[in-house]
Amino acid sequence: MDTATFLLSLVLAQTPQADLRCTPTGEDFIYDCTVTLARGGKPLERAEITVGADMPSMPMAHSVRPSKARPGTKPGEYHFRLDLEMLGEWAVKLRLGGPVRDQLTLHYEFDSQGATRRK
Amino acid sequence: MDDYAIGVLTNIGLFSFLALSAYLLLVAGEMSFGQQAFFGVGAYAGGILTALYGWPLPLAALAAMALGALAQFLVGLPTLRLRGLYFAMATLAAAEMFRILFELFHWRVERNGELAGPDGTQGFRGIRWIFEHGIEPVHYLILVYALLAVILLLLVWVERSRLGAVLRGVGLDPELAASVGIDVQKAKLGVAAAAGALAALGGVLYAHHNTYIEPRNFDIMLGVHSLAYALIGGLGTAFGPLLGVLLDIGVLEGTRFFHGYRMIVFGGLVAVLLVFRPRGLLDERMVLWIRRRFS
Repeated sequence: MDTATFLLSLVLAQTPQADLRCTPTGEDFIYDCTVTLARGGKPLERAEITVGADMPSMPMAHSVRPSKARPGTKPGEYHFRLDLEMLGEWAVKLRLGGPVRDQLTLHYEFDSQGATRRK
Repeated sequence: MDDYAIGVLTNIGLFSFLALSAYLLLVAGEMSFGQQAFFGVGAYAGGILTALYGWPLPLAALAAMALGALAQFLVGLPTLRLRGLYFAMATLAAAEMFRILFELFHWRVERNGELAGPDGTQGFRGIRWIFEHGIEPVHYLILVYALLAVILLLLVWVERSRLGAVLRGVGLDPELAASVGIDVQKAKLGVAAAAGALAALGGVLYAHHNTYIEPRNFDIMLGVHSLAYALIGGLGTAFGPLLGVLLDIGVLEGTRFFHGYRMIVFGGLVAVLLVFRPRGLLDERMVLWIRRRFS
């Protein structure tokens, strides 16, 4: 394997990184969210994202019906709406399809102001 | 089939392993609130073997089952000497000990230039075997149900054998069973090991479906649900716990319009059901009635 192929394989092997921002819609426990995906320092485009969420201590009891995220205007940006059952910590799950197949789990604390990353 | 249906069906399949694990102990006369511990042992062991050491999933699942069986056997050695509520409390305490151990457990290894592995309360990310091997969600669903079918066939065969009669005897009247020469403690330890292996298998599959696990996934709520699956579904046949999981997840999914209140509605339904059918829907009488009707 030459150096270029090796470096390329390293970049491709890198786990996608996600950053989530959510704002309350004004309706109880419903948030409009934007996730920014990157891999190897570059925006991850053309990803097909299915978003779900559950509460870590009750993974099968409190869960959110999965929905598809839609691409935003900026590269690597995707929008979706989260309809939660209550405030508190939620594990937001992004199942990625398209150029990358993976699943990312993001822990956020949801309150009346928005969402704050926990882990 | 859409992602939602696949996800719900996979969850039903995964938690069926845990329900069957609780059911095995209930048939042997023991109520365990701690099966989530062995589900967790399986999840961590399987995840470590595939994600950190590159083992194939089937081999990792077998190793995790062996570890789950060993763990529950060791827990069973002192606790199965207790009876009734004392045993239930001991299993709950043991499960909490396991959960705290998971919180203290750090095993970080460099993989592809990144640190991976269990990181205490931060959890264990990157259990990606099914993604790395191009397994689609629907194929994973088929795998889960194929394994479940094998386990069910095995349990139905055991139930119809002399061993099944021995286990029911031990569960219904241990003194009487001992008086006819059955080693009750040995039988219960065997059941405990089998239950640990089953729970661990469910854990391995759960970890690889989820790709991420953390100690909180294996807390008391999961233990209570696993026991409820078996008690709601019924103790007359191995199909009972499956019915319990189906009803549990089905009712929870079907009552989404209650939003956050659906757990209260669900709890009420379970309480009412257990008042009228204390040994579940598919109890021994119902199974006998079905057999007579269709034989």
